[in-house]
Amino acid sequence: MLSRTADALYWMGRNIERAENNARVLNVQLIHMLEASDRTALDRDWKEVLEICASYADYMEKYNRLETQTIVEYLTTSPVNPNTMKNCMAIARDNARTTRDILPAELWEVLNEFHLDQTGLREDGGALSGTKGYLKTLMRTSMTAQGVIESSMSRGTPYTFIKIGKWLERAEKTARVLNVICEKELRDKGTSGNSYYYWLAALRFLNGYDAFIKENPPTMASGEVLDFLIKQEAFPRSIAYGVSHVREAIIELEGGEVRHYSARLFDLLETVETDIHGTAVADMEMEELMEFLDHFQKQCMHLSQVFMETYYLTPPAAVR
Amino acid sequence: MPFDFIPIIIPEEDWEEIETGMKQRMNALNMFLDDLYHDQKILEAGVVPRELVENNPYYYHRQVGGVDIPLANHIFLSGVDLIRDEHGQYRVLEDNLRNPSGMSYVFQNRYVMRQVYPELFFNHEIRTLEHQISELHDTVMSHAPKECQDAPVAVLLTPGSYNSAFYDHMFLAQQMGIELVEGRDLLVQDDVVYMKTIRGLKRVDIIYRRIDDDFLDPEAFRPDSTLGVSGLLGAYKKGNVAILNGIGNGVADDKAMYVYVPEMIRFYLGEEPIIPNVETYFLSDPERMDYVLEHMEELVIKNVGASGGYDMLIGPQSTEEEREMFREKILEEPDRYIAQPTIKLSRAPAYQQGRMYPCHVDLRVFVMNGKEMNVLPGGLSRVALKEGSLVVNSSQGGGGKDTWILRKGGDGDVK
Repeated sequence: MLSRTADALYWMGRNIERAENNARVLNVQLIHMLEASDRTALDRDWKEVLEICASYADYMEKYNRLETQTIVEYLTTSPVNPNTMKNCMAIARDNARTTRDILPAELWEVLNEFHLDQTGLREDGGALSGTKGYLKTLMRTSMTAQGVIESSMSRGTPYTFIKIGKWLERAEKTARVLNVICEKELRDKGTSGNSYYYWLAALRFLNGYDAFIKENPPTMASGEVLDFLIKQEAFPRSIAYGVSHVREAIIELEGGEVRHYSARLFDLLETVETDIHGTAVADMEMEELMEFLDHFQKQCMHLSQVFMETYYLTPPAAVR
Repeated sequence: MPFDFIPIIIPEEDWEEIETGMKQRMNALNMFLDDLYHDQKILEAGVVPRELVENNPYYYHRQVGGVDIPLANHIFLSGVDLIRDEHGQYRVLEDNLRNPSGMSYVFQNRYVMRQVYPELFFNHEIRTLEHQISELHDTVMSHAPKECQDAPVAVLLTPGSYNSAFYDHMFLAQQMGIELVEGRDLLVQDDVVYMKTIRGLKRVDIIYRRIDDDFLDPEAFRPDSTLGVSGLLGAYKKGNVAILNGIGNGVADDKAMYVYVPEMIRFYLGEEPIIPNVETYFLSDPERMDYVLEHMEELVIKNVGASGGYDMLIGPQSTEEEREMFREKILEEPDRYIAQPTIKLSRAPAYQQGRMYPCHVDLRVFVMNGKEMNVLPGGLSRVALKEGSLVVNSSQGGGGKDTWILRKGGDGDVK
C-alpha cells in the first residue's frame, strides 16, 4: 500500500475518533453545567474541558475570558482552532475522499453526508439546543462510520491502519483526560469533597461510566477508576486496550516477524505495555501518578511518531 | 454531472459502422503519431504541412522523438466525439487522444438506469458493459515494457482529489484494481520508477497517467509543475516504464490537425474514411477568411487549442458585439482559428423538471487499444440541457444520458 494512502487512512481513523471524543466531552459538560455550584466551579470545569479538547492557553490568548457560547463555538466550528470537531470531520472526509478507491462506498457517504448536512449549522448555531443536536449527529456519524468499517472492510492493511489510528487516538485521549483530572484533584487536595464528581466526570468523558459500575462499587474511588481506565483490558477506551491492540495489529501486519525496520516499534510497544502492567496504579500517590501519566502521555505521542516513521507515513501536504 | 433518464438508442447496424469507423480512425492516428516521432514520411510526402506540426505547442519531438514504446502504441485510450447531421450521418467532431475523461459516467449512467428502470432491461436486448473494465485492465497490462520480468505493476497517476475529473480517476483505478497515485508518491532512481509504499520502494512498470504532458516531469517540461515526477521522461526513454497515453499525442488531436485526419486515413491505410469529419475551414487561408468574416452568423468559430467549449463563437446565437470581438481575434491570429458550418445537430428528447423537450446531443465513443482494439459499446451521450444550447460540456450546463446499443434480433419494441 502507498505510504500516502496509509497516512490518509491513519489520520482518518484518528480524526473521526478525536471528533467523537471531543463531542462527548463537550456534551457531558453541557449537562454538568446545570449543576455547577458556583461561577468558580463552572470556570474550572470549562478550563478542564478546553485542556482536554484543545488548548486552554491558546483559547485564553485569543479570548481572555471564559464564556460558554464562545467556548462552544471555539470547540465546534470556529476557524481559529485547528482541532474543532468540524475541522476533524473535514480532515477525515478529505482523507476518505482521496482513498475512496479502497474504502466501502458507505463510509464515504456517511462522512460526506455529515459534511453536507452541516453547511446550514451556523445559522442557528447560537442556540445551545442546536449544539446538542450537532454533537449528537457527530457522535452518531462516528459510530455509523465505525460500524461500516467493522461490518464491511476486509481485515487487511487498510483496515489495520484505520484501527491503529483510532486506538492511538483513544489511548492518548484517555491519558490526557486522566492527566487533567489528576491535576485538578491534586490542586484541590483535602479542601473539598469533590473528588467523587471529578472521577465520575472522567468516566463519563470516556464513555466508561456504565461499564465501570458493573464491576466496581459506585463510590468513585480514584484508585479504582484509574485502574479501570488505565489497565482494564476489556474496556475499549482503556490505555491497556489501545496499546495491546496496536501491538497485535502490528504483529499481524508483520506476519509475526520482527525485522530491522520494525524493531524499534516493537521495543517501544513492549516498554509501554510493561509500564502499564508493572505499575500499581491504585496504590500510587497523586504526585507519583501525575508523573506517571505525564510520562505515559509522552510515550503515546512517541509511539505515534515511531509508528509513522516505520511505515513512511508522510505529512499530508505535498512535499517537494 | 446532471443525468437525463431518456436513453439514446443506437441500432446495431449503425453501431457496427461507428465501430469500424473508429478503429480505422484510431489506426491511422496512431500510425501518424508513430510516424511523426520517427521517420516523418507523411511530412516528406507533403500530406500534412510541416509547419502545422512544428508550430504545434504540444509537439514534443525534442523530448520524445525516436523513442520506441511498447506495442508502438501511442493511443491506449481515446474519446472521439461524434454528432449526427441532418441527414442522419454520423460525423467526427473532435478527437481526444490525450486524457479523455468521462468513462466512469458511462458506467454510472448505466448503473442509475438499472436501478431506476430495471424493467426496461427485461424488454430490450442491450449490449452489456460488464466486461469492459476487464478489457480496459488487459489493455493497460498489455503495455508492459519488454524487460519487465514478473507480472507488471500498473498505476493510475492523478493530479489529486481537487482535479475536476478525480472521480473518473478514482473509479477506474478502483475498478481495475490498480493503485491510484499522485506525483509525490512516485520517485525515479537510475531511470527506474518506484512508488513509495509502507514497505519501502516498489517498482512501477506501467503508468496510466491523467496528468497532461507539460506537467509530467518538471525536468523535461514545465519546471514549475508540482504534480509530476522528476526524471520520469528519462525512465520512459530508457524503456523502463510505459506511459499511457503516450507523450506528445496533443499534436494529433487539436482542431487544426483534425482537418487532415481523412488524409491520414488515405495515406496510411489506403482507405476512404468511414465516418467523415465535419467540414472545416482554416482561417489562415485568406480567401476562406474573407468568406468566414462575411458569414459569421452562419458559422461556428473555434480556437484550435481550446477545449471544453471555451473560446468559441456560435454564429446563429451570437450578438453583434461577440462577432466583433471574434473578428478582431481572428484578424490578429488567423492561424489560431477554424470555422465550421453550424450543423443541425441531432436532437433527442430530454425530461427535466417535469417537462419533455428536445435537446442537442453528441456522443463520446471510447476506443481502447493494446494488443487488440476494442470499442466500448455505446459511450457517453452528452446533452445540452439548457434549452436551445449547442454546448454539451458538463462545465457549461451539459448532462449525460445512458446509451444503448441494441443487439441484432432485438427489434426494440416493448414486448
